[in-house]
This record gives sequence, structure tokens and C-alpha cells, in this order.
Amino acid sequence: MQSGMRSGAEVCLLELKGIYKSFGGVHAVRDVTLSIDHGEVRGLIGPNGAGKSTLVNLMSGLLTPTAGTITLDGEAVTRKSAHQRARKGIARTFQNLRIFPSLSVEQNIDVARYAGRGGALPEEAIDEFGLRDKLVQPANALSYGDQRRLEIVRGLALRPKVLMLDEPAAGMNEEETEALGRALTWVRQEADCALFVIDHDLKFIMTLCERITVLDMGAIIAEGTPEDVTQNPKVITAYLGEEAGLDA
Amino acid sequence: MTLTRSQKRGILGACMLAAILIAIGVLATYFASRYQLRLIYSAYVNLIVVLGLQVFMGNSRLTNLSHSAFMGIGAYAAAICVTPIAMKQIALPDAPWGLNAFALDPVTSAVIALVITGAVACLVGIFIVRMTGTGATIATLAILVIVHSIFLYRTDIFKGNQAFFGIPQVFSLTSIVILAVVVVFVVRGFRESPWGVMLRASADDETGSAAMGVNVVRLRLIAWVLSGLILACAGIAYAYFLGTISARPFYFNHVFLTLAMLIFGGMRTVTGAVLGTFAISFGLEVIRWLETGPVIIGVNLPEVLGLSGVMLGLVIILTMALRPVGVMGDREIEELVLKKK
Ligand SMILES: Nc1ncnc2c1ncn2[C@@H]1O[C@H](COP(=O)(O)OP(=O)(O)OP(=O)(O)O)[C@@H](O)[C@H]1O
Ligand SMILES: [Mg+2]
Repeated sequence: MQSGMRSGAEVCLLELKGIYKSFGGVHAVRDVTLSIDHGEVRGLIGPNGAGKSTLVNLMSGLLTPTAGTITLDGEAVTRKSAHQRARKGIARTFQNLRIFPSLSVEQNIDVARYAGRGGALPEEAIDEFGLRDKLVQPANALSYGDQRRLEIVRGLALRPKVLMLDEPAAGMNEEETEALGRALTWVRQEADCALFVIDHDLKFIMTLCERITVLDMGAIIAEGTPEDVTQNPKVITAYLGEEAGLDA
Repeated sequence: MTLTRSQKRGILGACMLAAILIAIGVLATYFASRYQLRLIYSAYVNLIVVLGLQVFMGNSRLTNLSHSAFMGIGAYAAAICVTPIAMKQIALPDAPWGLNAFALDPVTSAVIALVITGAVACLVGIFIVRMTGTGATIATLAILVIVHSIFLYRTDIFKGNQAFFGIPQVFSLTSIVILAVVVVFVVRGFRESPWGVMLRASADDETGSAAMGVNVVRLRLIAWVLSGLILACAGIAYAYFLGTISARPFYFNHVFLTLAMLIFGGMRTVTGAVLGTFAISFGLEVIRWLETGPVIIGVNLPEVLGLSGVMLGLVIILTMALRPVGVMGDREIEELVLKKK
């Protein structure tokens, strides 16, 4: 499939081929084929229950696909456990936060440093996400927004090849979302990793991402630049059910 | 390698606890009677047990009920190695594999006991660390019962409920205080080490930690084996001081006592383990004295046997109900002091 600017000989960073996942009778992900390039910033959108989080769980190894293969830098990781994939460079955040409440903010970040691929987290990341003054606090004393930001910094501390963000702007006000967008733009320039961003805030996704994939009922219905995607009739139909179109 | 903020605090906290342990030891050598010395010695042995328990339970937050069995394995292994041949010929006339035909010095014997306990812990641990919650707890209870049964029924090796005697009494109060101080540093060091921090992260959120690259099974096994080795130290120290051992002290009553100490003080911290051990040890002595029906301010109290068991059970229930994280919760000793500033 056509995945972008690089020549065909080059291996994609992360490649999913024919991925299926069902829970009992629910087909959460159906025949998803997707590839992400080195350093790419990819958006993933889709209505509630489309299967976005399930896809991230499949990529990060928390779920194993019913069928299909996943490769990272050409190496098959489909059967690798979550912690092995993290060490190979797949980092993620969670839609329902999963910080370590009894550890300090600094120790939360340290966990990823210890387990990660080595190499220091750019110290500026802590400043960019506004956590510098909060390092000694217990993580459960942080505000909701700070906990979200902590998850991102923690993911970056793994020194990942790709960082997947599952609704990083959820629960944030407009101002906070803009600040988050700026911080992620910084990540894009400085942290040498690809980003895979899920969010319902289309303005946020459209400004951040160069390519967008649209998922509906477990299957990819469109993929392309923000402009392509917003004009795609299938996408407009899929969104009509819950939102009044795509002009967010 | 530079130390993190919490590692520096850990060193401070361990030094403070060490100072307290040394102070109690010094006071005891000057003021305690022979009887009280024995009590204080056994409090230090229990402290090492509780610290060994803390390493595993406090960081992984899984329950272990087999710890006294590992203490027993350490104690018997050292006893069998160190007891002079002449004594063993009397104590274990039918011992197999020439166990009664050799004797080693105390240090070598202790090292062998540590290796054996470590190996057993490793073998058992491979299964335990893959289980979760209730499954793991029940499995550890089964280990306790199995080990105890072996101690009881292989009388040719362990003498069962009879005393295994003739062990050279090479340990003193000074030795156990030094050992306890070393163990405090090891346990606090583990807690603040990368392993300890990652293991605590997995206890907070297993899925979240896996996504951060934490291999929870491997870390639990490391903590489990370290715990086994510390428990073996406690067993060796016990045997080397008393000179005789039997199967009973390594069974359920001791499991329950040390568990109550850890739960009361707070299993998440090393400070909690120390506090719980001394508070319960002291409290139990008061209760034992009350059990005998003493005369207080002219009132002759009735004799109440079994009061100590009731009180121990109550301590566990009340802690679980009112403050499940124990007295210390997540706070170590240095945090209490630094906060006040
Ligand atoms: N562990 C599970 N067991 C059973 N069904 C599941 C499980 N996880 C997800 N599902 C189902 O799979 C479908 C996709 O869910 P998923 O959470 O991936 O959607 P989503 O696109 O992330 O939605 P949202 O925007 O609400 O976060 C839903 O129908 C959901 O009920
Ligand atoms: Mg979701």
C-alpha cells in the first residue's frame, strides 16, 4: 500500500498487515493494514467504539490479534509481549490514565528510563510539559491534565521509535489543548520518534498530523492528508451519526 | 552512576533506622537482664524476618505466607552443616547421605545454608511469581505446609518436633544488631533501586508498567529470592544463638506473628517493618505479663490465657479495617523528619 514519501526499498517503522481482533462476537478490528514511517506524525480518528484503542492495544502488545502480523523495523513482533515491545521502542499512553500513584512524578519517569532503550530523556521534555516544579510530588497528587502530560513524558523517557497517544487532549480545555499541541510539535522536532495520535478534537489532530487514518466499525475507511480526509464522503457519513460533519 | 533524589533519601532513612537499632542494642547490653536479652534477641531475629517479608510483599504487594518455612530451611541447613560430628552422631544416628559424618565452620555452613535456601526459593518462585492475588497467597500457604511436613516426618534428618541440639552458639546480641543493620540497608537499597521502583510501579498498575517495558515476572522473582536469602539469614542467626532448633517455631504461629508486625507497621516501607516489629514485640510482652494475672495498683487481675493470640488477631483486623496501609503508609522515616522543616 502507498504509505508516503520514502522509497519502496526502505522498511517502514511499524507495519500492520491484515489485523483482526474480535471479543466473543464483537469484531472490534477488521482487516486493518497500516504502516507508519520513521518520524511520521499520524492521526487516527473515528467515532466512539470504532476500535481505535483496541488498535493501540494490539500494537503495544496488550492484546494479541486474532489474525494478522505486526512488524517493527522489519522484525515481527506479533507474538512479543508488551514489555518486550516497549523495550524495542513502542511507547504509548492510555485513554484511562495508568500512572503509578504511589511513586513520585520523577519516579514515574524513572521507571521508563530504567526499562527503556537507554539514552537520556531530553531534559527539556520535562519543561515543555510543565512538570519541572512537580517532580517530587506523588503522582496521584497531580491534576488530571498533569497526569496526562506525565504519561506522555514517561512514554518519551523510553526513548521510543514510536509514541502512541490515546486521546491526549481528553478532558483538557482549549488553552490546555493548544499548549499540548505546541509541546507535541516540540516532540516532533526534537525527540526523533514517530507519533501516532488518537483524538476526538479534530482541530487538534488536523494541525498536528501530516497524515490521518479514519477508522469506523473496526475497519479503515480513509487515509490521507487532513484535506483529503475531511472531503471524503465515507468519512462524512461515518461522522454524521454523532457529529454534524467535520468542520470542527 | 549518580544517585536519584529518592536514593539519597533512602540512605538517610536507612542511617536513621540503623541508629535506632544500634541504640536499642547498646541500651539492652547495659540494662537488660538475661531473660530480657533473649527477648530482645528474638525481636531482632523477627525484625530480619519482617524485613525479608517486606522486600517481597512491600514491593510486589503479593501476600507471602511461607516465609517462616524459608527461615526454617536456612536454620536447619546451617545446623546440619555446623554441628560437631560427635553431637550429630547422638542427635541424628540414622541420618542418610553421611549428613552426620561431617562438620564445617560456621561461616561456610552459613554460606551453604544461603545457597540452599536461595536455590529452593528460586525453584518455588518460578511458579509463585506467575500467579496473581489469591492464587499466589494460597500457593505460599501450601509451601509452608509442605516444608513443615518434611521437617516433621523426616525425623532422621530434622528430628521433627524434638530439639535438634548441639549447634555452636556463635552469635551474640552484637552480631544480630550488625546483621539487622546490614539487612536494613539492603532492603531499603532494593526499594529505591531500579528493580524496586519498577516492581512498585507494576504493583501500582501492572498493565501500565508492562507498557513501560517492565518485566514483572522477572522482578518478582528477584524480590522473592532476595526475600528468601534474608529469611535464611534470620534462620541462621536464630540457630546460631539458641543452639537448638525444632520444627514448631517455623510454622503457622510465627507466620502470623511476623505478618501482624508487617501489616501493623505498614508493609510498603522499611520504616513500617521496623516500627511494626518493635511495637508488636513490646506489646506482646505486656500482654503476656497481663495473661499471668498480675496485681496492678492493688487490684488482682484474673489470669487470661490466650490473650496474646486474641490481641494479635485484633491488631490485624483493626489495621485492615481502619488503616489498611499500616501505621506508616507510604512514608519512610526521613520523610517524617524532612516534612517538619
Ligand atoms: N476487552 C474488551 N472486551 C470486549 N469488548 C471490547 C473490549 N475492548 C473493546 N471492546 C469493544 O470493541 C469495540 C471497540 O472499542 P475501542 O475501545 O477500541 O473503541 P474506541 O475507538 O477507542 O472508542 P472511544 O472513542 O470511545 O475510545 C467496542 O465495541 C468495545 O465495546
Ligand atoms: Mg478509545
